[in-house]
Amino acid sequence: MTRIPYFPGCALKDQAAGFERAARAALEKLGWELAELPRWNCCGTVYSLSSDDLMRHVAPVRNFIRVQELGEEKLVALCAMCYNTLRRSSLFVAEDPERLRRINAFMDEEPDYEGGVEVLHLLQLLRDEIGYEEIEAKVERPLYGLRVAPYYGCMLLRPREVGIDDPDRPEVMELLFEYLGAEAVDSPHKVECCGAYQTVSNPWIARERVREIVGAAARRGADLIVTSCPLCTYNLEQHQLPNTREEKGARNGIPVIYFTQLLAFALGVQDEELGFEGAAIDPRPVLAQRVGG
Amino acid sequence: MAEVIKGDALRIPSREPEFVRRVEELSGEDVFACYQCGKCSAGCPFTTGMDLLPAEVLRLLQLGDERVLESRSPWVCASCLACEVRCPKGVDIAKVMEALRLLVLRKGETGLTWREIPPGVPQIALVGATRKLTP
Ligand code: SF4
Ligand code: SF4
Repeated sequence: MTRIPYFPGCALKDQAAGFERAARAALEKLGWELAELPRWNCCGTVYSLSSDDLMRHVAPVRNFIRVQELGEEKLVALCAMCYNTLRRSSLFVAEDPERLRRINAFMDEEPDYEGGVEVLHLLQLLRDEIGYEEIEAKVERPLYGLRVAPYYGCMLLRPREVGIDDPDRPEVMELLFEYLGAEAVDSPHKVECCGAYQTVSNPWIARERVREIVGAAARRGADLIVTSCPLCTYNLEQHQLPNTREEKGARNGIPVIYFTQLLAFALGVQDEELGFEGAAIDPRPVLAQRVGG
Repeated sequence: MAEVIKGDALRIPSREPEFVRRVEELSGEDVFACYQCGKCSAGCPFTTGMDLLPAEVLRLLQLGDERVLESRSPWVCASCLACEVRCPKGVDIAKVMEALRLLVLRKGETGLTWREIPPGVPQIALVGATRKLTP
């Protein structure tokens, strides 16, 4: 087993528990273990875009100190929002030693962060360190006949400095699905924002976004939509309007699952470990119909 | 690397209002670098909720027009960065939108409009909304 420090974040301990559970089970099949970071705290959630707000980087830096205490250099995140915020903050403090000096001085109860922690997203680990061919060799339930639409949203791709793939034409998820035997369904809306936190303040905006995103996937015959973010998942599930459901011809809409769940399913992980019971639209019927048990 | 002079040719410092200087300082962006190609507006997925398109926000700032301070657009912007990756002049419009929000939020006002917390909404939505839209 190869161990890697892992940052869960709040949603993976709550609404998105299935995201984590499936990841652990899938990685075990691949010989990897997610070692949860001791005493982790909030990632900061949204990266501050102002030039004078060092305070907003304290939370991410505290997490990097935890990694440093382990004598480790890498930290892997599953939630795309955590990944983005942590990764951007790691670059923000690396760019300018004065910023880091002030943050360290502010946190005088902590040892100084020396810099150098590299934040990764699990998709990068799967693609670059484990390798898709290695994964293909371990597939027990090939997903032949399953049509899967990846939904990237914002946080895996933008800004470019932290993007895990081309911001306009990513393929990291498409390739993974194909190595698992599935067919990737392309859509021009796969890199467009789902409405994000505006779902709280201006829910109609999120509804409009989701109608386009899910509608496009439905028209292209997707059986499932796959994400890497609990907030995208929430929006895509909750704001699927009756008209998109009708377009698909399925009364219950298109299920939205996490990439770790699709991976775990293909690797033959036991049903109890897939976490599908947390999904608002049950993906099990379509999986059973297309792929079988 | 040589310093790139981006928008200085368009700048008339004596006519630049204080709020434009503040927006540039808070965002770290040069609003005069924008040459109004409109790519940001074309790709922004939130324009139906905006009264000014992202490129128009930049234009009013260049003109020092205070109507930009009343605009709804920064409050609808979700920092999705679709504009940022496409701007040929390297303007991070999301940072400009954030600066416009901060001018209001730092006076203690709020931009968050909600009646109820939607059931089952992840914490990241609540924390994200309060961090971006409240003081
Ligand atoms: S994309 Fe850039 S240069 Fe073009 S209008 Fe928008 S801000 Fe200006
Ligand atoms: S960051 Fe804001 S202005 Fe830019 S594309 Fe996204 S919503 Fe539109």
